[in-house]
Amino acid sequence: MRDALPNYFLLDTQPEARLTPEVVTEACRQLKRNRAQYLRDMPTEEVITHLSRLAENWQDDLFPFRKMALEAEPTMTGFSRPSLAHGLDRFFARITEDNLHNLIAQELGDSRRLDAPLSTPEERSDNRLAFACGPELIGHIASGNLPCPTMMSMIQGLLVGSAQFIKCAENAGWLPALFAHSLYDTHPKLGACIELAHWPGGKSELESPLFDEADCITATGRDETLASIRKRLDSRRRFIGYGHRVSFAYIQKDMLSRALSRDLAQRMAQDIASWNQLGCLSPHLVYVEQGGSVRPEMFAEMIAEALDSLETTQPRGDISPEESGTIAYKRDFYDVRSAGAGDVRQWKSEEGTHWTVVFEEDPVFTTSCLNRFIHVKPVGDLNEMLRVAEMARGQVSTVGLAAPKNDAEAIVKQLAHWGVTRVCPIGQMQDPPLGWRHDGRPPLGDLVTWTDWEQ
Amino acid sequence: MTFQSYKEADHAITRFIERGEGEFDQLALALHQLQAKHVPAIAALCQNRGIDSTTLDQIDQIPAIPTTAFRDMAITSIPEKNRTSHFESSGTTATQPSVHWHHDFSLSLYDSSLIHQFQYHVLNNHVWDEHTLALTPPPAEAPHSSLAHMAGQVLGDGTIYAGKWQKDGWSIDSQICESVCAKAIHDNAPLLLFGPAFSFLHWLDSTESFYELPNESRIMETGGYKGRSRELPKIEFHGLLSERLGVPESHIVCEYGMCELSSQAYDRKAGTNKERAFRFPVWARPIIINTETGAPCEGPETGLLRIIDLANVYSSIAIQTQDLARSIEDGFELLGRAQTAEPRGCSLNLLE
Repeated sequence: MRDALPNYFLLDTQPEARLTPEVVTEACRQLKRNRAQYLRDMPTEEVITHLSRLAENWQDDLFPFRKMALEAEPTMTGFSRPSLAHGLDRFFARITEDNLHNLIAQELGDSRRLDAPLSTPEERSDNRLAFACGPELIGHIASGNLPCPTMMSMIQGLLVGSAQFIKCAENAGWLPALFAHSLYDTHPKLGACIELAHWPGGKSELESPLFDEADCITATGRDETLASIRKRLDSRRRFIGYGHRVSFAYIQKDMLSRALSRDLAQRMAQDIASWNQLGCLSPHLVYVEQGGSVRPEMFAEMIAEALDSLETTQPRGDISPEESGTIAYKRDFYDVRSAGAGDVRQWKSEEGTHWTVVFEEDPVFTTSCLNRFIHVKPVGDLNEMLRVAEMARGQVSTVGLAAPKNDAEAIVKQLAHWGVTRVCPIGQMQDPPLGWRHDGRPPLGDLVTWTDWEQ
Repeated sequence: MTFQSYKEADHAITRFIERGEGEFDQLALALHQLQAKHVPAIAALCQNRGIDSTTLDQIDQIPAIPTTAFRDMAITSIPEKNRTSHFESSGTTATQPSVHWHHDFSLSLYDSSLIHQFQYHVLNNHVWDEHTLALTPPPAEAPHSSLAHMAGQVLGDGTIYAGKWQKDGWSIDSQICESVCAKAIHDNAPLLLFGPAFSFLHWLDSTESFYELPNESRIMETGGYKGRSRELPKIEFHGLLSERLGVPESHIVCEYGMCELSSQAYDRKAGTNKERAFRFPVWARPIIINTETGAPCEGPETGLLRIIDLANVYSSIAIQTQDLARSIEDGFELLGRAQTAEPRGCSLNLLE
């Protein structure tokens, strides 16, 4: 499948062609030259038009790059075809002209601030203008097989007019590379400002030239990985690190009426099934408040039914023996527990490890082994939930929340003070809007450097 | 075949272990029936899964107890007042350990199972009256370590212990190791080294010494690293032992055991060069389970290792491990451990 693509990027020739520090240095310098020539002065409007058209194409079944993504063996993408199609559709549907304009306006006050010095009303009263510049070259140390974060980084980098070198994680470069090829195909000059390669993480002889050439490094990974990268960067380089995160859901009891709960369970199941639960925005567990018309245990059973029916439309697909072995082992464990005590129940796909729901009375925070394995636990109220989830505090990205409008604001404030950086409705956990502040940080604001012009 | 009492089962299985009398499958099914009556967790599991123990006719139908269940509940038929000792898994301090309860009868079975196998694989059935170094604490210092207990049972009285017990495991006194090695070389007498892989690494990483231990010296190493030392693939680890201690790979024997089992597998007989493959004694049988279907694997595909261990008379005869394995030769090869998948796209490292 890869043979069908031209060799535009270093990744296309790997592993045959060996990377050397000189190759990485030269690639970075070429990227910077291309950026100066093609991208730096390209009007934002034009970048937005190209990106939104490309995103529209990616939702078209006849688009050759989408076809290649969906026709690839699931072992290359890591997802079953229906799951991948669903994920790609939801991702690209967000990349519209309006949304891109709004993102820049949210971040920079006005969507033209990357083209010329302009002022907001506040700045005007101060008699000054401001101009935002993206980094010359961003180095992304990408991690994981979920393609969205890498593709989103590429889009954000292009919006601020930066060249980008993406170090892909092992076996995770195929979809980002396909996206980069589609960009090259649509607009070769934009494509010429992107490079992709892979090497084993921490290989310093290849990372050092990248760290020397790039003026901004972003990285996703373990805390130790981030710390070691930060240590190796000199103070003039900007570093943006995204560390360990987990997500979970909270269902307030008033939402557990017989009328609402089945629909809620279906949306919950979609959150669990999206990208096979492998992203940091996917829920590990669902906290269900006691006292609603539908008991937490019944709600768990509803999620199981919804996961079962999703299996026909968005099958999970095959996973590695390590992953399925973990599920099989955990199922055995909860089987023994549910047999020994009345406070544990388990529902699971009959054949294979496709989905599993474990209900436990013990509310202590538990991480899931993922691939559509969800824990459901009852709690008395929000305060109890925050108490039992204390061990995850500081590492929580998203809380999927179902609560009546009148109570939601108070809950969100409490969650925010506790450290949660994103709250969203059930069913949207894996679909953050374009303006989402990853880890609570401004997505473009962290990339740009301002020049104030006082008059 | 059925057992009316544990006494009867214990005798029958002891005869099988010591004299090979009886038939494995029959003994296993009869023992499971007995356990399904007397071990509450097994009884409940059978009931939950709708299994009638009296009608089983294949050993792979026996419901297996996952090792982590030993953390949660007492998997034993021994009444609380009769439990005289127990072994604990050597996990990290953050997690509760597995506990395997024992009394005199169960320990006696355990000991006879381990001595015979150790003598066969590590000592080639010779009596060892040479130098012996254990990289564990003396058994009295670590009464809940099944490995220290094993050292006490299988190694001679003159064994030098280099392990010092600490609250979260044990540390190795490198000086003791160095002086025992030097003495063996000085006496030109072979040395038997015994210990977990991480203790060997702690010792060897703390010094720069190289030894050329006398001929017929041998090593029994066991277990993973459990996050206690750097991790090395087995081949590299054995290469390191060979290079630093001068013990040829033919004399490095790897043992596979855990506190939830009463029998151990070995991957070679010392002094032989047969391709490595873990083999249990005839009274324990590995079954590799397809991770998707739950059925036994038929070919050499990767699956979860389950062990039917007759010597687990008083706990659970069928133990489900978290280890991935595949059949090779007449044994199995370990391929690591099924682990909690990390969210791809970001990672997390919360304590279990």
